[in-house]
Amino acid sequence: MSALVEAVSLSKRFGPRGIFSFGQKPVRALTEVSLSVARGEAVGLVGESGSGKSTMGRVLLGLMPASGGSVRLDGIDITTLAGKEARALRRRMQLVFQDPYSSLDPRRRVSAQIADGLLAHRLATRAELPDRVAALLDQVGLPPSHATRYPHEFSGGQRQRIGIARALAVQPDFLVADEPVSALDVSVQAQVLTLLADLRARLGLAMLFISHDLPVVRSLCDRVVVLYLGRVMEEGPVAAVFGEPRHPYTRALLSAAPNIDPVRRQKRILLKGDPPSPADPPSGCVFRTRCAWAIAACAEAVPPLAGAGHRVACIRAGEIDDRNGPP
Amino acid sequence: MRRISPVPVAAVGLIGLVALVVPWLGLPDPVTIDVSNRLSPPSWQHWLGQDEVGRDILSRLLWGARSSLTVAILSALIGCAIGTTLGVLGGFLGGVVDLLTIRAADIILCFPPLLLALLVVTLLGPGAATLIPVLGLVFIPGFVRVAYAGVLSVRHQEYVEAQRALGVGPARIMLRTVLPNIGGPVLVQFSLAMAAAVVLESGLSFLGLGVVPPSPSWGLMIGAARQTMAQTVLPLIWPCIALTMTVLAMNALCDAVRAAVDPHGMPPRERRWKLPALLPGLPLGAASSLSVNGLSVAIDTTAGEIRPVRRVSWQVAPSETLAIVGESGSGKSLSGLAVLGLLPPVARAAEGEVHFDGRELLRLDEPALRRLRGGDVAMIFQDPMSSLNPVHRIGRQITEAIRVHRKLSHGAAWREAVALLARVGIPDADRRARSFPHELSGGMRQRAMVAMAIANRPKLLIADEPTTALDVTIQAQVLDLLAELKAENGMGLVFITHSLPVVAEIADRVVVMYAGEVVEQGPVGEIFPRPLHPYTAALLQSAPPEDGSLPKAIPGTVPLPQHFPAGCAFAPRCAMARPECDAAPLPLEQAGPGRQTRCIRWRTLASEPTMQRAEA
Repeated sequence: MSALVEAVSLSKRFGPRGIFSFGQKPVRALTEVSLSVARGEAVGLVGESGSGKSTMGRVLLGLMPASGGSVRLDGIDITTLAGKEARALRRRMQLVFQDPYSSLDPRRRVSAQIADGLLAHRLATRAELPDRVAALLDQVGLPPSHATRYPHEFSGGQRQRIGIARALAVQPDFLVADEPVSALDVSVQAQVLTLLADLRARLGLAMLFISHDLPVVRSLCDRVVVLYLGRVMEEGPVAAVFGEPRHPYTRALLSAAPNIDPVRRQKRILLKGDPPSPADPPSGCVFRTRCAWAIAACAEAVPPLAGAGHRVACIRAGEIDDRNGPP
Repeated sequence: MRRISPVPVAAVGLIGLVALVVPWLGLPDPVTIDVSNRLSPPSWQHWLGQDEVGRDILSRLLWGARSSLTVAILSALIGCAIGTTLGVLGGFLGGVVDLLTIRAADIILCFPPLLLALLVVTLLGPGAATLIPVLGLVFIPGFVRVAYAGVLSVRHQEYVEAQRALGVGPARIMLRTVLPNIGGPVLVQFSLAMAAAVVLESGLSFLGLGVVPPSPSWGLMIGAARQTMAQTVLPLIWPCIALTMTVLAMNALCDAVRAAVDPHGMPPRERRWKLPALLPGLPLGAASSLSVNGLSVAIDTTAGEIRPVRRVSWQVAPSETLAIVGESGSGKSLSGLAVLGLLPPVARAAEGEVHFDGRELLRLDEPALRRLRGGDVAMIFQDPMSSLNPVHRIGRQITEAIRVHRKLSHGAAWREAVALLARVGIPDADRRARSFPHELSGGMRQRAMVAMAIANRPKLLIADEPTTALDVTIQAQVLDLLAELKAENGMGLVFITHSLPVVAEIADRVVVMYAGEVVEQGPVGEIFPRPLHPYTAALLQSAPPEDGSLPKAIPGTVPLPQHFPAGCAFAPRCAMARPECDAAPLPLEQAGPGRQTRCIRWRTLASEPTMQRAEA
């Protein structure tokens, strides 16, 4: 399977800017993150707040410039493109936002907002617009009569469908979905997840699904990448990563998620403290300050992402399993 | 867009109309002099009297409105067009454009407006033709600033980012998306500029630098009437009234326009009614720590009263955790707020009783409630950042919370605050007590909120989505902390959440709410494996299952309070619904010891294994 979208050693630093921030350290949102998404594949990007997962989506789409590394779409490096060429390529990569309220312009009709992309890329003439908008609304399960309404007339789940229709309007190959269901009610979450899975199957969309909700990622994605403090901790097929997590962080993350099943609740690994500041990450392995397995060697060098298929960035990955707890 | 209030529209329309049709009103010529009748009082020929050289005051007033309004509208339009364009360009494009436009506006802003106008008029000579561009120039910086500030807040909105992601060009984004969204403040600025222009025009004319005599102008009229003030004040009063009324009407109009284009709208007026007193002889204070009986919350909207919480009853015993679970719009948070008299101004408790420690809280006055809150009953909210005061140190806020309820010296209270911070697991509590809220991480802030809530050893803690904003690893820490504190102090805990897994983690009993009603309640250990309401069952199934398959969605959406169905609220989305479900409100039925369900088909649900969640 050849990669449709490929991030090669992508880094992103923020600030410091301006004369008053002299002496402050830049925030390292992403450090040398590589990932690839094949045509039609859904990859989950999981991590907690501050892990850089949303930044990753924005940098991939070119909405933020990268500080280092490159993004390739069908083998073409798009990080260096600008102007018209960049806009044309941007059409093939679209974004679905987390907040269904702030991502729609409150002052414009739904039809106008869905038509924006069609007009910007000359994908439809003005005469064709009503039909195209109706078809797009139908595709996301909304009646075409809703086109003339304003966003405040819709519920959160319906707004999220409109956001998806807007992204689909320009016929993308690749969709970045940034926490698309975390602002929705539980009963509506499942509707939107089903819609995304269905669109993926019907349109052959590749997807980067950014989420902090592990069960949601598991139900939708083929592969998963676990980020912590801007670095990849573990990646691999969902069955492998969720079934046999090998990185201490992944294990803690999986066990921390509250569970309805009382049996699974027994073996909780409780992490101590908060994640360190991304402006001042620990040396070596960034997770070592909260890791129960950490040893002196963890502070010395950044552990490489090792393995084939299911890869882990932990020098003690081989020693960790369910039988031996932390020393 | 809502309807604009008609009064200011009519007022400004009338002023504008009069100014437009003056030439055809058949009034006396405003510049014809009649010295013999100078300063004569109002008469049938001259309704408002005659001025110092015998000219008709009414005619001069109306012709003056013409010149005043022309100058005001044109100069405000010039300022608005140029200023808004510069502000939008500078704010949206940033960089060099930002520097050029905003700094240029700042330079104009450095000159006092009247002085600038004086300078230019002196150089170019007086007259309305000079006045318009000069006032336009004076107004530019105001519009630049307003537009710039608006753009800065709009440009990072996700709907603007969405357009960039779609590949829409910057010109189109500025015109179609940014401009309409900053329209409100720009309109307000426009009203201020017009009103200021009317005043400035009069002022400059008064000084002899505006409209050239003998052309009529309000400023000229005031200036001339001032000299004859000792003989009669009437000629001075008329232009002053005209000036004031015009400025007021313009401001009112722009307020009305801004209110009409704002899609969010204004909240209705605040209304508070106290509930009627309890009937004597009602039992007060049962064994439970807190008991809520038949609580309803009402909100008055323009379309009539809605009831987002309807006849809700639940109890929580000491050292028990009761979870209230529901989706947005289920009324779970409102019922929690109502208990402590913390409802937002638009909402009120409409019926019911809340008993706590022998008192009835819904009928308690505000000072008594205040003594209770943070004392015997504490509350923590979802977003600690909005509940903590950003300008005070954490330690000081906890110290104050302690000293409101207990007589302690500042030093002793501070030491207790530090001990509390240490208790909730904040490392280096002594130093952290001196931190401001923004210096703490989200998890630490929520711990600080918990520390403040337990500061006076409450008998009951109401926690409204306390872990929803937190990461899972931090959420696990806070849930553990709450469980420990409960065990330590024997306090009752009411945990309001939308997350069933969290309920399973922390609660002893659960109340499931849907559309403002309790649909099921009972012990967690029984409800989760064996739900007896189709909504609870569907909610359990809508969580992504362990095996990685897609969750089962519940069709439809939660109804809004104004559209609550007459019968079972869940029936329109229910796979088990029968015609009789829609007929009338269903009672909460007893379904085994400690269990209640608001479903007439719960026996079917209990006996049909397919409706149940498969055991893991």
